[in-house]
Amino acid sequence: MLALVLDDSRAMRMILGRIMREAGFDVVEAGDGKEGLERVQTGPVPDVALVDWNMPVMNGLEFVTAVRSQPELRRMTLMMVTTESEHSQIVRALAAGAHEYVIKPFTADAIVDKLSLLGLVA
Amino acid sequence: MTLANAVVTAEQITAIAQDVWSSFLQLDLLPVENVPIEGSSVTGCVHVSGEWGGSIFLQCPAGHAQVAAEAMFAADPGSLAAEEISDALGELTNMIGGNIKSLLPAPSTLSIPSVATGDTYTVRVPGAVVIEHVALACGAGDLHISIWKV
Ligand SMILES: [Mg+2]
Repeated sequence: MLALVLDDSRAMRMILGRIMREAGFDVVEAGDGKEGLERVQTGPVPDVALVDWNMPVMNGLEFVTAVRSQPELRRMTLMMVTTESEHSQIVRALAAGAHEYVIKPFTADAIVDKLSLLGLVA
Repeated sequence: MTLANAVVTAEQITAIAQDVWSSFLQLDLLPVENVPIEGSSVTGCVHVSGEWGGSIFLQCPAGHAQVAAEAMFAADPGSLAAEEISDALGELTNMIGGNIKSLLPAPSTLSIPSVATGDTYTVRVPGAVVIEHVALACGAGDLHISIWKV
């Protein structure tokens, strides 16, 4: 299983990457939505993407919207992992096609529990 | 108090910072006397715009920022570049700022964090005033959090 960790903070990518590797995933990273989109369009399609909201160039909501507009990326599960916790924004992300929503700060268990709910880990 | 004037309390800010510091850095923050941070320090900032306008600042001694970054990167002491320490402090500011924003009048948006480092610098938000200031500390040093309202 392949995971894309999409966050503009290298420290956060490292933390999320570590959690995903420990959960059995191979991990690729990108630092903004545009770079993430290029990655999933040119490389293997990840099984899941952990998507930050607040990023330069292309934010997480724009990334989710772009991914959902492309049929060949349909099987990719999208999980927002963000500090954005306004109710109206969570509704927007889910309406745009995100499957799950985790608010920072999170615990490793919270991420793994969501992956389990999505059927991505046993 | 009307919603537009509602502000977060020192207790709420403290709880958010304690949550971030304990879950990501395994460090326990406790309230301390508010004494200005001397010497080299790191300041992270995010701006909020929308129904509420203002900025959220985090300031800590350079040594505290280094320990925090080493915890996030799982790095050996002294092994990180200045850019990596700024990245970590920026993300900690983003997390604390985002959680504080959730207590402020909505809708509003949060900026990308910016980080300043050095011995002598002054950070100001033109036209804004400090409406809350919290001084905390853990084994790695002090952490000051301030809320500025435009
Ligand atoms: Mg971000």
